[in-house]
Amino acid sequence: MTKISRRSFLKTGATAAAATIAVPAILSRGWYAFAQAEAAGYFEREFGITEGLCRKVLAKALAKGGDFADLYFEHTISNYLILEDGKVNRAASDVALGVGIRTVKGDQVGYGFTQDLNEKAMLAAASTAATIADASAKEPGGKFVALKTKNYYPVYTLFSSVPLDTKLPLVQSVNDKCFALSPLVIKVNVVFHDQQKRILVVTSEGTKAEDLQPLSFLASTAVVEKNGKRERSGWNYGGRREFSYYTPALADKLAKLCVDRALVLFDAIQPPAGEMPVVLGPGITGVLLHEAIGHGMEADFNRKKISTFCTMIGKKVAEPFVTIIDDGTVPNLAGSINFDDEGTPGQKTVLVDKGILTGYLHDKISARFYGVSPTGNGRRQSYEHYVIPRMRNTYMLAGQATPEEVIKAAGKGIYVEDVANGQVKIGEGDFAFFVSQGRMIENGKLGAPIKDVNIMGNGPKMLANITMLADDFEFYDGGAGGCGKDNQGVPCGFGQPSALVKSLTVGGVKG
Amino acid sequence: MKKELHDLAEKAIQIAKSSGADDCRVAVGGERFVEIGYRDRKPENIKEATTKGLRVEIFVNKRYSSQSTSDLRPESLKTFIGNAVTSTKLLAEDPFRTLPDPKYYQGRAAADLKQSDPDYEKVTPESRHSFVKAIEESCLAKGGDRVISATASGYDSRREMILMASNGFDGYEEATVFYGAAEMTAKDEGERRPAEYGVAVAMSRKALPKPEDIGAEAASRTLSLLGAKKIKTETLPIIIENRVVARFGDGFMQAMFGRSIQQKQSFLADKKGQKVASPVMTLIDDPFIPGAMGSGTFDGEGMTNRKRVMIDAGVLKEFYIDWYYGRKLGWEPTTGRPTNTILPPGKRSVKEIMKDLGRGIFITGFIGGNSNSTTGDTSIGIVGQLFEKGEIVHPVSEMNIADNHLKIWQRLAEAANDPYPYSPQRIPSLVFTDVVVSGI
Repeated sequence: MTKISRRSFLKTGATAAAATIAVPAILSRGWYAFAQAEAAGYFEREFGITEGLCRKVLAKALAKGGDFADLYFEHTISNYLILEDGKVNRAASDVALGVGIRTVKGDQVGYGFTQDLNEKAMLAAASTAATIADASAKEPGGKFVALKTKNYYPVYTLFSSVPLDTKLPLVQSVNDKCFALSPLVIKVNVVFHDQQKRILVVTSEGTKAEDLQPLSFLASTAVVEKNGKRERSGWNYGGRREFSYYTPALADKLAKLCVDRALVLFDAIQPPAGEMPVVLGPGITGVLLHEAIGHGMEADFNRKKISTFCTMIGKKVAEPFVTIIDDGTVPNLAGSINFDDEGTPGQKTVLVDKGILTGYLHDKISARFYGVSPTGNGRRQSYEHYVIPRMRNTYMLAGQATPEEVIKAAGKGIYVEDVANGQVKIGEGDFAFFVSQGRMIENGKLGAPIKDVNIMGNGPKMLANITMLADDFEFYDGGAGGCGKDNQGVPCGFGQPSALVKSLTVGGVKG
Repeated sequence: MKKELHDLAEKAIQIAKSSGADDCRVAVGGERFVEIGYRDRKPENIKEATTKGLRVEIFVNKRYSSQSTSDLRPESLKTFIGNAVTSTKLLAEDPFRTLPDPKYYQGRAAADLKQSDPDYEKVTPESRHSFVKAIEESCLAKGGDRVISATASGYDSRREMILMASNGFDGYEEATVFYGAAEMTAKDEGERRPAEYGVAVAMSRKALPKPEDIGAEAASRTLSLLGAKKIKTETLPIIIENRVVARFGDGFMQAMFGRSIQQKQSFLADKKGQKVASPVMTLIDDPFIPGAMGSGTFDGEGMTNRKRVMIDAGVLKEFYIDWYYGRKLGWEPTTGRPTNTILPPGKRSVKEIMKDLGRGIFITGFIGGNSNSTTGDTSIGIVGQLFEKGEIVHPVSEMNIADNHLKIWQRLAEAANDPYPYSPQRIPSLVFTDVVVSGI
C-alpha cells in the first residue's frame, strides 16, 4: 500500500465478474431534463434521505465554520461475467453504498464517510469533516435547487433489468467467433462488465444534483500459438453504454480485432532503442495527451506550483494547428459526466487553443483559488474519496493531412497502434506510455510489426514537437481501464487523429 | 469488532445455504483509519472513517460466483445473497470450482506474527498531527530554498478480517498499519520541477523511523534529481534500488501464477526445475516473519501458509498455484497469494558495488512500462543516476530499459546488503549487467 500520489493510466484487464439485482425497469427520458430524471428522488425513496436530513448533516459539517460543505451519496452496482476455457463460468458483483461528507476551508479539506445511511452515522462522519475548520458555526443555504443539465448517456434500460440469460450468449459468442477465426487460437478470455452508479450531491450552497451513470465494456483476449511460439492480444468496446450497444456485429468486430492483432504479433519485433520520430495512430493513442499534458493541466498541481505547466498559461506551447480539449459532454464516452462529483455541470474545456495554453481543469477549490468558475472536473472514485481535479475525455482535434502523408513525413521511426498504459511525473513533465502494438516505419511506409515497448518523452517538448496531424480523428471507444491519481481511479476517455511527433525516446532492445 | 464480524460471516453462510448454495466462503472485514496531510504548515486534509465489507463466494450445482457489498442491512444482505445464488445457477458448469479439501486447512502455525500494535488505541489525534508536522518540517529544512512545495502525510489503521468456509474453515486476522510520507517538488533549470518522496510503512508505530528521517529522505531524493539529463543509448550495468526493485520483479512474478500457466500466458510454464536466473537469485516466500506486512497463517482460500523456496540459486522450484487452478492443471496447490518475498541480501553496499562497476545507472524510480507475461518481454521508463567509478555523475531522465525476463535475470550479478524493510517484498538493490539503456 502506498499513499503517495501516483498518476497513471491503466488499461486494466477486468478480473472479477456478475449477478443481477432486480430493480424496476426505467423508462425513457428527454435530452433536456434533470440529469437522468428518473433517478430523481432515488435516495429519498430507497434510503430516506430527505432535504431536512441533508440540511442537518451539512450544518454539523459546518459546525466549526468553513467555506462550504457537501454530501455525496452513492449506490453503485457492478457486475462482471467472465468466460474462460470456453464457458461463462464465473460471475462477480459488487455493491457500494455510502455517503462522503466534506468540509472545505480555503484549500483545506476535512472528510468523513459512512456506509450506514442513518442520521447518527452521518452526523458522526460530518463531525470528522468539521474538524478541518476552527471558527464559529455556519448555516447551510436555505433551499436546495435541483440541478438541471443535459444528459450525455440516457439510460432507457437498466443493466439490472437485462436478464442474465440475455447477457450470457453475448459473452459466449465472442469466444466462439475467436476460435472460428483461426486454428492458431488456443485460449480466449472474455469479460462483460456493467455498472450503474447512482449519485446524489447536496451542497451547503443549495445545489442538489442526482444522476445515474452507466458504464460498461465487452473485452476479449486471445492467445495464439504457432511453432511453439505464443502471443497474446486483446481489445474492448464500451463506455457509458446500455446493453443494446453490444450487438452481434460488435461482438464480431471485437473477435476479429482481437485475433487479427494476436496473429500479427508472431512477426513482431521489439524496435531499436533511442530517439526517433513517432507516429501515433488515431484513437487510443490519445493516452499520450492524457499523460503529456492532461495531468499537468489539473489545477491542483498548478495551484501548488508543482506542474511543469504552471507558468505557461497564455504562452505558445505547440504549433497553431494543435488544439487540445478536455470534454465531459461527448455522448456515451467513458469520461463523460452530466455533472461532476461536486455538482458542477459537465462541460468542454479547451486546454490548448491553436497552440496557446489556455486554461486548467478545475474543481471548486482550485477555481476559488484562481477566481474562475469551476470547469466540472471535480471527480472522485467513490464516496470513500474526496474530490480532486481530474480529466474527463481528453482529445486533440484533427488536422489536414492524410494518414499516409503523416507516415511518409516520419521517414524512419515507429507507428503506434495500441497503448496499454502510461504514467507522468508532473513536475518534470516526463511521461511514458507503453506500446503493446505498432509498426516500424521505414522509408515513409509501414513496415514490420512491433510490440511491448515503452516510449518516454517530456510533455512541453512533445507538444512543441507535434509537426503534423491527419484528418482521421477517432475517439477511443473502449470502456475498460481508467485513470489513477492519488489512489483514486476514474473512467476517462481520449481521442486524436494520426499525429507525427518529431522525436521521442523509444525503449527498444538494441542500441 | 471480532464477534460482530464473526456473527455476520455466520449469518451470510446461513443465508447462502438456505438459498440453495451447496457451499460458500465468506470474508468479512472491518477497518478504522485516520489519514492526515500537511502542506504550508497546516492540515491540507483530514480523513477518517470506519468501514465494513463482506464478500461471499457461492458454489452451487458446480457453478461459481463471487459477490461483495458494503450494504450490510439485514434485509439487503438476504436479497443480495439470495439473488446471487439464483443467478449463479444460470452460469456454465465448472467442475473445478470447489472449496479446498479441508486437509489443506490443517496445521496452521500458532506463532504470534506481530501483525497488530498493542498500543494502537493509545495513538492520539495530537500525536498524529505532531508526527506529520515533524515530517513536513524536516523536509522543508533539508530542502531549503529549492522547495517549491512539500507535502507530508500520515496514515494509520486497524483492521480485522474473518474468513469462513462452509466446509469448516474459520480464520481471524487483525492488523495495524502505520505510514508516513513526504513529497517534495524542487526548483530546477527552466520549467523542470523534479519531485520525489520519502516513505515508511510498518505494522507497529515503533517500527517506523523518526518522522524527521522520512521528511529528510524526500528532500534529499528530490535534490538528487536536479539537473537531470538524457544520455546516449548505451549498454550498461544497472543497479535497481531496493525501494523500487519489486516493481521490476513483478514482471517475472506474473508468470509464476497458476492462472497465467493454465491460460497459457506464462513464459515460465514449462521451466520448473530449470535454471531461469543466475545463482544470485534465490526467492523465498516466507509467511512467518514477525512484524512483516505479508505475514499470515492462512491464504485467501483458507489454505495453510507454508514457507516455500520458489527459486533456489536460479532454479525454478515452485509456482503460486491456488486451489482452482491447481485442479485445472492437475497440480498440487501451493498458494495463490504470495506472502513476504525474500531475496537473500549480499554482503556489500550499493556504494561499494558501484566502485567496481565502472560506468552504469543506479535506477531509483520507474515510469510507465509494462511486461508481457506470455513472452517475458519488458520495457520500462527509468529515473536514476549515472555513475562512474563509484561516483554519481548526474541524474538521468527520459530514459528506458528493455529486455526479456528469461534473459535479464540470468545476468543478475549481485544483490546488495539492503533488503527493503517497508514492503512485503523484502528485496535488496540488485545489479544486472549488459542492459540496453535507451536515451538519445
